[in-house]
Amino acid sequence: MADPEITGGLRLAADIGGTFTDIAAFDPATGALRLGKALSTPAHLVDGIAAGVDRADVAFSDAALFLHGSTIAINTMLERTGARAALVITKGFRDIYEIGRVNRPDSYNLFFKKHRPLIERAMCFELDERMLAEGEPLTPLDESEVRALGEKLAGLDVEAVAILLLHSYRNPDHEKRTKAILESSLPGAFVTASYELSQEYREFERCSTVAANAYIGPGVRRYLDEIGEHLQTQSFPGAFLVVQSTGGLYDVAQARHDCVHMLESGPAAGVIAGRALARAAGIENAITFDMGGTTAKSGVIYGGEALTTGSAMIGGYEQGLPVQIAMMDIFEVGTGGGSIARTDAQGALRVGPESAGATPGPACYGSGGTAPTVTDANLILGRIAPDRFLGGAMTLDPDAAFEAMKTDIADPLGMGVVEAAAGVLQIAATAMSFAVKGVSTERGLDAGEFVLVACGGAGPLHASAVAREIGMREIVVPPAPGHFSAIGMLHADLRYDYVRTWFARLSEAPLDEVERLYAEMEAQGRAAVSATGAEVTEIVAGRAADMRYVGQEHAVTVELPAGLFAAGDRDAIKTRFDEVHAVRYGTSAPEEPAELVSLRTTVAGLLAKPPMVRGADGGSADPAPLETRRIYFSETGDFVVTPVYARVDLGAGADLDGPAVIEEEASTTLLLPGDSLGVDGYGNLRIRVGSGGR
Amino acid sequence: MSERSPDPVVTELVRNGVIAITEEMKTNLTRTAYNMIIYEALDFTVGLFTAKGETVSIGLGLPMFIRGMAETVKAKLRHFGDDIGPGDILLTNDAYITGSHLNHLTFSMPIFDDGILVGFAVCMAHWPDIGGTLDGMTTDIYSEGLQIPILKYQRAGKVNRDLLDILRMNVRLPERAMGDLRAQLTAIASGERRFLELIRRYGREEVLDSIATIMDQSEAAARARALAIPDGVYEAESFMDDDGVDIAQPVPIRVRAIVDGDRVTVDLSDVSEQVKGFYNSGVTTGFACSQVAFKCLTSPTDYPINDGSFRNLEVVVPMGRIVSAEKPAPMRWWMTFPMTIVDTVFKALAPAIPERIVAGHHADLIIGMLNGVNPETSEFYIAFIGPTGGGWGAKQAEDGNSATICMNDGDTHNSPVEQLEAKYPLLFEAHALRPDSCGAGRQRGGLGIENVVQARAPLTVNTQIDRVHCAPWGLGGGGDAMGNAVALRREGTWRDDFPNAKVFTARLGPGEAFALRSGGGGGFGPPLERSIEAVAHDVRQGYVTPEAAFRDYGVVCDAATLAVDVEASEKIRAAKATLAAAGGSAEG
Repeated sequence: MADPEITGGLRLAADIGGTFTDIAAFDPATGALRLGKALSTPAHLVDGIAAGVDRADVAFSDAALFLHGSTIAINTMLERTGARAALVITKGFRDIYEIGRVNRPDSYNLFFKKHRPLIERAMCFELDERMLAEGEPLTPLDESEVRALGEKLAGLDVEAVAILLLHSYRNPDHEKRTKAILESSLPGAFVTASYELSQEYREFERCSTVAANAYIGPGVRRYLDEIGEHLQTQSFPGAFLVVQSTGGLYDVAQARHDCVHMLESGPAAGVIAGRALARAAGIENAITFDMGGTTAKSGVIYGGEALTTGSAMIGGYEQGLPVQIAMMDIFEVGTGGGSIARTDAQGALRVGPESAGATPGPACYGSGGTAPTVTDANLILGRIAPDRFLGGAMTLDPDAAFEAMKTDIADPLGMGVVEAAAGVLQIAATAMSFAVKGVSTERGLDAGEFVLVACGGAGPLHASAVAREIGMREIVVPPAPGHFSAIGMLHADLRYDYVRTWFARLSEAPLDEVERLYAEMEAQGRAAVSATGAEVTEIVAGRAADMRYVGQEHAVTVELPAGLFAAGDRDAIKTRFDEVHAVRYGTSAPEEPAELVSLRTTVAGLLAKPPMVRGADGGSADPAPLETRRIYFSETGDFVVTPVYARVDLGAGADLDGPAVIEEEASTTLLLPGDSLGVDGYGNLRIRVGSGGR
Repeated sequence: MSERSPDPVVTELVRNGVIAITEEMKTNLTRTAYNMIIYEALDFTVGLFTAKGETVSIGLGLPMFIRGMAETVKAKLRHFGDDIGPGDILLTNDAYITGSHLNHLTFSMPIFDDGILVGFAVCMAHWPDIGGTLDGMTTDIYSEGLQIPILKYQRAGKVNRDLLDILRMNVRLPERAMGDLRAQLTAIASGERRFLELIRRYGREEVLDSIATIMDQSEAAARARALAIPDGVYEAESFMDDDGVDIAQPVPIRVRAIVDGDRVTVDLSDVSEQVKGFYNSGVTTGFACSQVAFKCLTSPTDYPINDGSFRNLEVVVPMGRIVSAEKPAPMRWWMTFPMTIVDTVFKALAPAIPERIVAGHHADLIIGMLNGVNPETSEFYIAFIGPTGGGWGAKQAEDGNSATICMNDGDTHNSPVEQLEAKYPLLFEAHALRPDSCGAGRQRGGLGIENVVQARAPLTVNTQIDRVHCAPWGLGGGGDAMGNAVALRREGTWRDDFPNAKVFTARLGPGEAFALRSGGGGGFGPPLERSIEAVAHDVRQGYVTPEAAFRDYGVVCDAATLAVDVEASEKIRAAKATLAAAGGSAEG
């Protein structure tokens, strides 16, 4: 089905990243896409937005929608700059946040570190109440106890309170009442209860989720209000929507309460952009490859939909804090342009995970870094132009790169500098290929059958090497790959996710009750969509259930057409589950009984999408190179005179054979020998990956 | 073409490659396994081995499985000699070879490139049942289930159907067992395929040379780190509560570590002889626990895990000890005692390398095995509470970690209380840290956990817990922690005066309860050297009670406000210090 035509005022998106704030604006009246890039301004992030909007030469007063993704939430959590928060919890369970799941991933390291809670033990307070797993109260809530606690918290100057009561996913009455009382005792404080964020079992994960919300809440709320004020001074007449970690949008009014939903908004928008690109280009299955300065991230588009997960660890697996909400399923490795190459004491060559970051930066930046990095290796091999980095905003020093690679790698290992640089890039490519493969292997999918969508500043430069490692045959590089996340926001829909844990054997589950729960969640979603004020073309609801075989611990999420429950078709539901289990785990047991664990609903308010057309059209089907440059390829074992093209010169129908380089403002695409490239009607570079590796 | 020293780039690509292969084998096993002991408790190991059975890379699994598969491959090579060909899959669960219990079936697939044996892809995984008696204590291997000698599950691509029939007939859950068997075959097949891809990509000789180089580099690293340990003979001892048969009869653990230049010898000659109860393990585990201790001290974060790292480690362990038990010693609960041996090796080496070791930890899985009939479904169930996790020892410059799984396990998770209560007729009254369970010290140990579980319907509980009496020890003047414990509440009265924490077949009625209490970690350094501020912080957080702060640290706090009286504390601490200097006890 074709997306409805977009109408109305300007649609303006702002993506705040660690280094840059990217602006993308689409004007339905003219069909023009305008882009702006400004340095992020950590002290006062709204300044970076204003500068980027100016750079893009657009105005808030012309906009109907403002779409926003930001690192504010994740940074507050990772940098531990959040609020003074308290945790209110069921008696006997004060320590569950600190205890966690007791696992020890770094198994031989006696100096391992456990996760560090955002709220210290002294700020965790128990309530003598207890709900049973069946949802019946065993010990009723004592409201006078809650009021007394409220007074105590007021005396402790808390800015935020998180509430986690056992089995609230089954019956949230105690949490609701506790929240109401504490809100009245603590005017101005940010009070949040776990059931509002997750109605799924697992007390530690739900606790960690609500604690994170309390911890980041006051700061995120201030930030959103600041932007709101800025919008008001700019006479913005439209709706302000925020990107969630699912890549879906939600209203700023809800974002002010459910702040944890925006933790991974930037990376998620990149995958949404990949989905939009894949749909437009008729690609069913794609993996996005977003490489920046310190990490490479991948997400999956399967059957035209971006794959999401029900929880994620914030801050890495080993010491991270879980957040149990729907999120884009993103796999990350610590390899990027700034990754440092080194020789260890035993003479082994290692690349990353240490990164030179933006400061001191790669040796070639000339800003204090002396260690050779992936970027230095690219410069040594002629793959990036020293005088056109970031559109000429920065000049790179090839001699410094050469010297660093010689001193740290080539000399100690008795290799040539060029050989060392090529080796560093190959090691980096294999490391990144694990991120790309990682997202698919866990789901039982074969990455080799997917199209690689390369984005981020460094993605298009390394995509061909990564694709070869995996055996992927096609790469797509979208226009403006460095603005991909911001562009993705223009293609996002409103989205509200709900989940209710509801344990029942499938054979005995009262399906009318299940139907009622789904209907309740859908109604909630429809109301949320309507409340945003954004003009939606359609509201669609999707249903799924987490299911498992009786006796199993792990559940899998099974998407289910709405009709199955209404029709009471237990056999069809069971068959769907068996099929999903077989794909994901390689086996199924049709003869074994299954049970329901959680019911999931996704309500999407579809927005009209900008057409996938190039921002600045033009270019030639038979472009002339900008220049030629000597570039080293492992495939040939030597420097090869290679044509360098400007991306703007490549028009639809252009056809090139590798080796070749295509440069644009914030990114460089590299075609290896054996690769060939075409430009499609949307301005995407479509690369057919040549065979052969090192 | 073979080279003496391969291209460093290829070596690094092969290093990352073999790690990726064993990670993929692990993903494929956990993704396709049928039982949760594999995919939740990670009770398995996958690995790549050389044609001689040396470890190239291991994907864990449990840390204690660092040695078992290599010994199993070597035993298979000895058994079959040249009679190993393409399409063969070798199998055994011989506990005296694998070193652990019969539930661990090890499948090995030889990898041939152009007819040349280049390595093995191997998978050991825990089957939920292998036959044998269902409950209680075992006193010989025959009562623990089906024993499978070294044999070919598959010869030249042809599966041994007779063997499959024998397996099916002898296990209680044949369908699940067959599911796990298929998952194991999937894992080793993916290992074989990926390893051959690596060889096609970079060349056979290059890959094999790179593997040799990686092992040499690991050896060089281990030797350099061993060299930094002062030469000497280091000894320590500890003990287990008992073997579950001869109650209250301690089982001695004495270890000796000899450091000579860049070589280390771990001598387990003086650990107890094998015992009557099911706490024994095979000689492979004697090697394994020594290797675990050695890796923790010399290459804790180096990957891949390979045999190069252990070339400068010699393990002396005569047969017939608790970790080198001989037939027909029972081995069902093999995992408990070796953890304490690892800790005792750390204790021995503490004077030599205090900056690299930890004080004692709780050293037990702390599991409560339950069974009963669920009144809601009228179905019989078997459940377990735990692994509980407990305190870890303090280090010279860091406090110990609280509430973390013991040494035998690694990335193993506990079960959510909300899940257990929804599934079984149980009510958790508490799932909490145990204040004061930590050993006092300049750096204090971590805290243990208390789980109080009430029966909502009649049930039976069994525990196999040790280390009640040999509490996790402190080092360098640090205090001991509280040990592990079990308590039962019957007819409203708690009882915890058991001779040990091994409670077999205790029946509880509705409203009655049991408590599992894990020990803390030992402290490091004299408690009086802990700053008043640090003690005040612990008291404010509730990790340490005001009484313990006074008793252990001489810190005076108000019981109600928890405010510290600095002046009074300084006086008491000064007096305690004088007393200690005069030869009295610093503990006052």
